[in-house]
Amino acid sequence: MEPIKPEVKERVLREQPQATPEEIEEYEKLLAQRFTSDPDFQPTPAPIPSALLAPDQQGEQRLLELQRKLFPETIQ
Amino acid sequence: MTASPVIRVIRPGDTSKLNPYTVAIVANPALEVPWQSGAFSPDPIMLDHLAFEESVNYIEQALFGSLPGQREQFINDPTIGPHIRVVSVFDVGLTATYQNSLVAQDGASNQLIARRSVFVPFLSTYNLDADVIYAVSKSATHTRATSWFTSDDDARPGIPFAMDGRPLVHRFYNLIPGTVAIHTTNRSLIALHEFGHAASSYTNGAVFDLYIDLGPSINKKLNRPIPVVYGNYNSAVMSSDRTRGGIGYPPTWMTYHCELLDAAFPGVMDDYLRAASHVPEDCQHDRITRQFLIDRLRAKISRP
Repeated sequence: MEPIKPEVKERVLREQPQATPEEIEEYEKLLAQRFTSDPDFQPTPAPIPSALLAPDQQGEQRLLELQRKLFPETIQ
Repeated sequence: MTASPVIRVIRPGDTSKLNPYTVAIVANPALEVPWQSGAFSPDPIMLDHLAFEESVNYIEQALFGSLPGQREQFINDPTIGPHIRVVSVFDVGLTATYQNSLVAQDGASNQLIARRSVFVPFLSTYNLDADVIYAVSKSATHTRATSWFTSDDDARPGIPFAMDGRPLVHRFYNLIPGTVAIHTTNRSLIALHEFGHAASSYTNGAVFDLYIDLGPSINKKLNRPIPVVYGNYNSAVMSSDRTRGGIGYPPTWMTYHCELLDAAFPGVMDDYLRAASHVPEDCQHDRITRQFLIDRLRAKISRP
């Protein structure tokens, strides 16, 4: 995915006083993780236990939390 | 209004083959808003053919190394470039439906996301196959490009290789091509960076972003301290990158990269916007990424 522009990071930290560089890094990491597994051809054909799905769902929830904090203008 | 569809062959590629390595660049007929919602609306790109053609020109330049000052030239090699077909599709005659929507707007960011499973049936209506597909959007709100790796057809042949003794294969064919969602405003190394992802493979080597502490993959490893040797690719021993072209590794990171071809600049898959020269086009791929992509392209170019 396209790297985030340095001026965007600076703007977020300036305009969102509660935001931290670590949270921007966490947000970016969660976005990148979405693309790291094949959504159409999973390596294991067996049903995935719900416990293994939980981290992804938690990741999406965390992404939305971070979006509200860091990039509120992108909320649709 | 433009007659539809407009299909242009930008580069003919290897005309002796029925299925030459192909990069397709398609105007996105419809946006899914937001991603995975099932709600579709026309993409503004369909009202701006000129902006689409400018994106086509830009993508072709970035891939073939002809951006002003661009140093990364691996595709512009006589054994690779002339064999690659580039085709563009602009079709204003399509409605905003599930099957015509190639790009979604992410609900959690300003990212454009390729709706990858739709691409093959969509292109088949034009009798086109591709290895990597760019879908160009002119979304009013979402401008950040993203890519999915290729889903290789691992049931079909290819050219074997080894990474650190692990047997892998540069497959000739795919089940789902590498897919890129890109915006009309995207320029500089974005198209080349996204090609690095899209041309790589879920099962035979994925090229990750180097600016995020996420791995391992073909171009990312995990360890501290950073070892001297990065790895062994097809009997070639490659060193580790200790400086990230001057960016440095954050102290909390566990991932590290392969040696750079020019240690003065970060890699194309890294945060090239932080190049000391402030000129992204100074950046080149690191050694493993470049060799992996060259070998993968040559394998596909050689397919029967």
